[in-house]
Amino acid sequence: MPVISARSVTALLLLTALGGLSLLLAMTLGSVSMGLEAWWRAMTGTGDPLFRELIFSLRAPRALAAFATGGLLALAGALMQVLLRNPLADPYVLGISGGAAVGALASMLLGLGTAMVSGSAFAGALLSTLLVFGLAQGRGSWTPTRLLLTGVVIAAGWGAVITFMLSLSPADRLPGMLYWLMGDLSYARSPWLAWWVLVPVLVLTVPLGRSLNVLARGPLQAAALGVAVKPLAWLVYGLASILTAVAVTTAGSVGFVGLIVPHMLRLVLGNDQRVILPASALAGGALLTVADTLARTLLAPEQLPVGVITALLGVPTFLFLLYRSR
Amino acid sequence: MPFARLRNCLLPVLTLALCLGSGPGRAAVCVSDDADRQVCLDQPASRIIALSPGATELLFAAGAGEQVVGAVSFSDYPPAAKQLPRVGSYKRLDLEAVLALAPDLVIAWSSGNPMEQVERLQALGVPVYISEPRRFEEISTTLERLAILAGTEAVGQGAADALRSGLESLRQRYAEAAPVTVFYQVWEEPLMTINNAHLISEAIRVCGGVNVFGELGALALKISREAVLAKDPEAIIAGGMGEEDPAWLDPWKQFPSLRAVKHDNLFFVAPSSLQRPTPKMLAGTRTLCTHLDTVRARD
Repeated sequence: MPVISARSVTALLLLTALGGLSLLLAMTLGSVSMGLEAWWRAMTGTGDPLFRELIFSLRAPRALAAFATGGLLALAGALMQVLLRNPLADPYVLGISGGAAVGALASMLLGLGTAMVSGSAFAGALLSTLLVFGLAQGRGSWTPTRLLLTGVVIAAGWGAVITFMLSLSPADRLPGMLYWLMGDLSYARSPWLAWWVLVPVLVLTVPLGRSLNVLARGPLQAAALGVAVKPLAWLVYGLASILTAVAVTTAGSVGFVGLIVPHMLRLVLGNDQRVILPASALAGGALLTVADTLARTLLAPEQLPVGVITALLGVPTFLFLLYRSR
Repeated sequence: MPFARLRNCLLPVLTLALCLGSGPGRAAVCVSDDADRQVCLDQPASRIIALSPGATELLFAAGAGEQVVGAVSFSDYPPAAKQLPRVGSYKRLDLEAVLALAPDLVIAWSSGNPMEQVERLQALGVPVYISEPRRFEEISTTLERLAILAGTEAVGQGAADALRSGLESLRQRYAEAAPVTVFYQVWEEPLMTINNAHLISEAIRVCGGVNVFGELGALALKISREAVLAKDPEAIIAGGMGEEDPAWLDPWKQFPSLRAVKHDNLFFVAPSSLQRPTPKMLAGTRTLCTHLDTVRARD
C-alpha cells in the first residue's frame, strides 16, 4: 500500500484551514453585525462588553458544537459506509438516531427538563446499538448484509414508536419534538462532550486506516489478507455508534452531513481511509458550522432549521462532483 | 459538603432579605411567576422583551407598553406592537437579538418557547418572568405582577380589576341561564378541541355553556368528526385561519342531522379574542355569550 500522497496532505491542510475559517465566520457573523476588528478587540479582552458576551456565551459555544457535531456525523458516516460496504449507509441507517429520538421524545412527553432530554437520548442510542449488536450476532457468521438488515428493521421499529408518540403528544410539546427530530443547534447545551469524543476516536482510527482499506474490499478478501474481520467490524460499529450517539445528543438528528460528506471527499481524494476519515471530520465540521451560521443569519431574526441549509449547500456541490467524476 | 449545605440554607434567606428589606433608596421589586419562581429586580424594568404575542399584549395592557423594547413575530396587538424590533419567532428565538437589546426583563412562555434558550438567557443573567396564565383570574394577577415589575401599578391594577368586574357581571348574568352544550373547534386539519382545563372552556362556562369534550384527558386534543356527531352539541363554535374567516364551519353543513346545523347554530369567534390569554378575552367571551343567547332563543 502506498504511503499517503503529497496531494492528500495538501488536501488535509486545506481542509484544516477551511475549518478554522468556518469557525471564524461563525464567530463574526450574527444578527448583531460585528467587523473583524471588533471581533479581535473582543477576543483580546478590550472592546464592547456586549460583543464579548455574544462571542463567548452564544456564538463560540454554538460554533464549536456545530463543528464537533458535523465532524462526528461525517466520521461516523464514513465508518458505516466502509463497514456495511453500502454507499447509502449513513450514521442513522442502523437505527441509532431512532433509539435516541425515542428516548428524547419520551422525556419531552413526560415534561422532564432539558438535561434529562439529552441524557435519555444518549441512553436510547446506546440501547439501540446494543439491540442491533445482540441481534445481528445471531447464530451464524457475521456479514455486512445481516448487520444492515437488522439495523434497518430496528430503525423502522423506532420510526413507528416515534410516529405513535408524536400522535399522542399534546399540541404545545409538538414544536419542540419536531425541532429535535430535524436537528437544531440552538438546542446544543455544551460543545465539550462532542469534542471529547471526536478527537480521541479520530486519533484511534488513524492506525486502523490500513485494515479498513482492506475491509472496504470485502470481508473475504480482508480475511485472506490476514485481517481479523469480526473484531475489527465490531470495533468500527462500536466507534461509529458512539460518535453518532454523541452527535445526536448534542444537536438532535441533523441529517445529510453523515451521508454526503464522505462521498464528496471520495470523489475528490480517492478511497484511502487514512485520508478520508480525518478529511471527513474536518469537512463535516466546516460544512455544519457554515450551514448553522447561515441558518441563524440569512433571515435574522427569523431562525431557519440547519438541515435546510446543509442540503441547499450540499446537494449542488455533490451533484457537480458526481457529474464531473469518471 | 458543609459549605454547600450552608450556602443552600443561606440563599433563600438572602433572597428573601433582598426582596423584603431593601436598603434606603433601593426599591427592589419582587413577584412570583407562573412557574412559582421569585422574580426580583433592583428597580422597575425599563427595557422589557416579550417572547410571545400574548405577553406583548399583557404588557401593553398592564401599562408597560412604553418599556417594551422587543417582541417576537406575530405580535400584532395593540397596533404599536407591530413596530417593535423582532427577536425571532416564539418557537426559535434569536438570542443575539435579545441580548443586543440589553433587556432588564424578559417575559417567557413556558409551553411555547424552547426552554433550552430560556435557560440560556437566565444563565446569562437576564431576569426572566415565566408567564403561563390558564385561568381568567391568572390573567388578572399577571397584569398586576407585570405592572409591579414595570412600575406601572396604577394602570395594571385598573386593567386587572376591569377584567375581574367584567367577568363577574357576565357570571352573574348567566348563572341561572339554561345550559347549552358547545363544541369548540380550535383547528380544522386535524380537527382539534380543548378540555375543561383550558381557558376557552372557562369562557364557555361563564356564558352558561357546557363543553361536550370537557372531560377528556388532554388540554388540547385531536378528535374525529364522528365523535362530534355522537355528542350532537347544540352549538358549534370555531376559530379560523384569520380574523374573519368562518370557513371551518362549512364542513359541518353536510351533517343536517346535527342539532347545531338544523338550527343554524354555527358561530365564528375571532381566534385573537378567544385563543390568547389576554384581557381581550373579555370581548371574546361577550361575543360567545351573545351566540349562546341566540341558541337559547332559537330553541
